[in-house]
Amino acid sequence: MRLFWNITLGGVSEGLIFASVALGLVLIFRATNIINFAQGAMAMLTTFIAFSVLGKGVGYWPAFVVALACGLVLGGVVQLVLIRPVQNKPPLNAVIVTFGLLILLEGLAGAIWGNSNRGFPAAFSQSGLVVGHTSIAFSHFDVFIVVAVLALVVLVALLFRFTTLGLRMRAAAFAPEAARLLGVRVSWLLTLGWSFAAVAGALAGLLVAPTSVFSPTFMDLILVYAFTAAVIGGLDSPLGAVIGGLVTGLALAYVGGYLGGALEPIGALVMLIVVLMIRPEGLFARPTARRV
Amino acid sequence: MRLTSRRRAFGWAGRSAIATTILAMVAAGLGWSGSAGAAPTTGVTSNSITIGATVPLTGAAAPGYDEIAPAMNAVFQWVNAHGGVYGRKIHYDYVDDGYNPSNTTTQTRKLVLQNQIFADVGSLGTPTQASVQAFLNAEKVPQLFVESGCNCWTNPKYPYTTGWQPPYTVDGKILGLYIKQHFAGKKVGYLSQDDEFGQDVVKGLDMEIPSSQVVSRQTYDVATLSGPLTTQMSALQAAGAQVVVLATVPAATALALLPAAEIGYKPQFVIDAVGADPPTVGPLLSSFTSQGGGSSSQASAAVGLLDGAITNAYLPAENDSSNPWIAVDRKLLQKYAPDIWSKYGLDGNTEYGLALGYTFVQALQAAGKNLTRQGLVNAIARSGKKFVTPGLVPLSYTSNVHFGYEGDSVVQISPSATPIVTPTGSFPGETTLAGPFVTSPGKGPVKKYTGKASLPPRELSSTA
Repeated sequence: MRLFWNITLGGVSEGLIFASVALGLVLIFRATNIINFAQGAMAMLTTFIAFSVLGKGVGYWPAFVVALACGLVLGGVVQLVLIRPVQNKPPLNAVIVTFGLLILLEGLAGAIWGNSNRGFPAAFSQSGLVVGHTSIAFSHFDVFIVVAVLALVVLVALLFRFTTLGLRMRAAAFAPEAARLLGVRVSWLLTLGWSFAAVAGALAGLLVAPTSVFSPTFMDLILVYAFTAAVIGGLDSPLGAVIGGLVTGLALAYVGGYLGGALEPIGALVMLIVVLMIRPEGLFARPTARRV
Repeated sequence: MRLTSRRRAFGWAGRSAIATTILAMVAAGLGWSGSAGAAPTTGVTSNSITIGATVPLTGAAAPGYDEIAPAMNAVFQWVNAHGGVYGRKIHYDYVDDGYNPSNTTTQTRKLVLQNQIFADVGSLGTPTQASVQAFLNAEKVPQLFVESGCNCWTNPKYPYTTGWQPPYTVDGKILGLYIKQHFAGKKVGYLSQDDEFGQDVVKGLDMEIPSSQVVSRQTYDVATLSGPLTTQMSALQAAGAQVVVLATVPAATALALLPAAEIGYKPQFVIDAVGADPPTVGPLLSSFTSQGGGSSSQASAAVGLLDGAITNAYLPAENDSSNPWIAVDRKLLQKYAPDIWSKYGLDGNTEYGLALGYTFVQALQAAGKNLTRQGLVNAIARSGKKFVTPGLVPLSYTSNVHFGYEGDSVVQISPSATPIVTPTGSFPGETTLAGPFVTSPGKGPVKKYTGKASLPPRELSSTA
C-alpha cells in the first residue's frame, strides 16, 4: 500500500511539472495555432539566467523573479523577431522556426554556461513529508509545485474570463479580422500571448531543474511528455493541459512501478495513440467547428 | 578542315600532357621506393603519427566524458615535447559524435578515408563504437582502447578491436562477491540501466549473489531519463531491499539517490564505478539540501548522500596524494592541458584519459620503429601485460584477450577519507575495503591480486 501511495505521489508531482510546460504550449497554440517546440529551450534559458543570478549570492527568490521577468521579455522578443514574419505563412514554417530556435538556444546555453550536468536548488526542502512515522514521496517542494501550477492555472483562467485584456486576447485569437476592425491591436496581443507562455515556461524550468539533472538539454524530454499531456488535454484547453499532465504523470508512474521502469516511454506512446484514436481532438478540446 | 586541324592540335597537346603526367608519376614512384624502402603506413610519416577518435563533446553524454580526450592529449603533448616516439610526434584528431551512432559512423569514415588516421584510439561508448567495429576491422584500422566495458571488444571476428577498462561483468562479479561475503542473508535489490551496460553488471552480480537473496530488480531507460526515479526506489523500499546495487550512469545515480532520500530510504548503496565518481555525481545532488537558494556548504552536505556508498575502482583514488601516479597526473594536466586543469582538475574522467594516454604511448614504443597497423596490434598482444600504467591490476592483453584491466578494488566513499578537491568543489574521498581482485568476465573465480602496483617510469615522474 505504501508503494502504491509513493508511486501515486511521485506521479502527481511529475504530472504537474508536465502540466506547467503543457500550459505554455497551450497558451501559444490557443493564440496563434503554432506548436512551440522551443518552449522547453526558452524555459531552459531563463532557468540558466536564474542560475547565474543565484551565483551572485542574492538568494533564491530574487533569482526566481528575474527568471520570470526574463521569460516575459524573451517570449515577446521571440514572437516579434522570429514568429511574426512567419505568422501568416504555412504552419510548417513556424514549426521549423521554433525547431531552429530550440537548437540555437541549446547551443547558446552550452557556449555560455557549458554542457556539464549540475544540480539546481529547490525553493523548499526536498525531504519527504512525514506521515505517521514514515517519509512519503511528497516533499515541501512538491507542495510548492502543486500550489504554483494551480495558481498559474487560476491566474490564466481569471485573465481570460474576467479582464478586458483577456477578452481582447481571446478575440484576437478567435477572430483576428473582426477584432482588428473593432480596434483591438491583434499583433501586440499575440506578442503578449507569447510573453505569458514564456513566463509559464520559466516557472516550469524552475520547478523541473531541482528534480532533474540541470544542463542545456534538461527540458528536452520534459517537453516530449508535456506535448503528450497537451495533446491528451486537447491542445487549446488550459484545464485540459493540467489534467493531461496529471494523467501522463500518473500513467508513467504506474507503468514504471508495476511493469518496469524501462517501459515508461512506451507507456506514454501507447496512451497517446489510444487517446488520439478514441478522441482525436483530445479530451478537453473546444468544439471543432472552429477549425476550418 | 579547320575543325580537323584544331582537333589534331588539341590531340597533340593532350597526349604530351598525359606523357608528362606519367613521367612525373614514375619519377614520384621511384622517389618513394628509393627513400622509404617499404610501403608507407597510412597516417605515419618519419616525424608524425596521426590518430583519431570520436567522443561526445556536445549533447547529453558530453558532460564529464568531454574531459577524457583532452586529458589524453596532455600525455601526447608531453611525449611530443620530449621528442615523440621514435622521433614521431603524435597528432590526436578527436571529433564530436554527440554519442549518436549515426554520427559515429560518418565521423569515423571521415577520419579513416579523408584524414587518413593510423588508428582510432580512445573513442567512447558501447553503441557508438559497436557501430563502427566492422568497418574499422574491414579497413584493418586498429580500434584501440575503446572507452566502454562491453564484453564485445574481445571477439575473434574483430582482431583489430581492443578494450581497456574492466568489462562490466568483471565489475559485477567483484562487487557481487563482496556483497555475498559481507552482507550475507541481507535482502539485495538492483537498479540497472536497461542496456548492455546494466545487463552486463547484473550478469556479473548474479554469478556471485545467490538468487534467493535478490528481492527486487528495477530498471530504467537511459534515453528517456528526465526526472527522479521515484517509482523504482519506492519499489526497492517496498521489497525491503537492505543492499541496493546501482548500475547507473552518473545522472541516474543522482536521480536515484535524491528520491531515496526523499522517502527516507537508507539502504547500503553499492554503485558501479561508471556512476560513482564523487566529483561527477556530487554537483548533481546539490539541489537536495539547498532550500531557497544554495550555498556551497549546503551543496557539500548534499554530496553526503554518497557517504558510505561502496563502489569499485581500477585506478588509484584521485585523493591519494601519496600515489606517485596521482602526482604525475596533476603535473601533466597542469602543464599540458591548463584549461582542463583549471576547469576540472584531476577527477575520475581526466585521470582515465591520462591513464589511457600512457597505455597508448607504450603500445607505440612496443611496436618499434617500423610502425605498421598489424605491428601495433601484435605488440599489444605480445607486451600489453607489461605496460606500466596506474591501474591497480596489470593489463591482461594476449592475442585472445582484448580486455585491458580484468579486475578492480572494492572501495567506500567516506567522509573521513581525504577529500577530493577540484575546481568545482570538495568531494568525499574513497578508502579501500578489499582487493584488488582479478577475474575474467566468464565463469572463472574472483581471485585476489597479490602482485605489486607499478610505478610511473622515471622519465615521466622527473620531467612531467
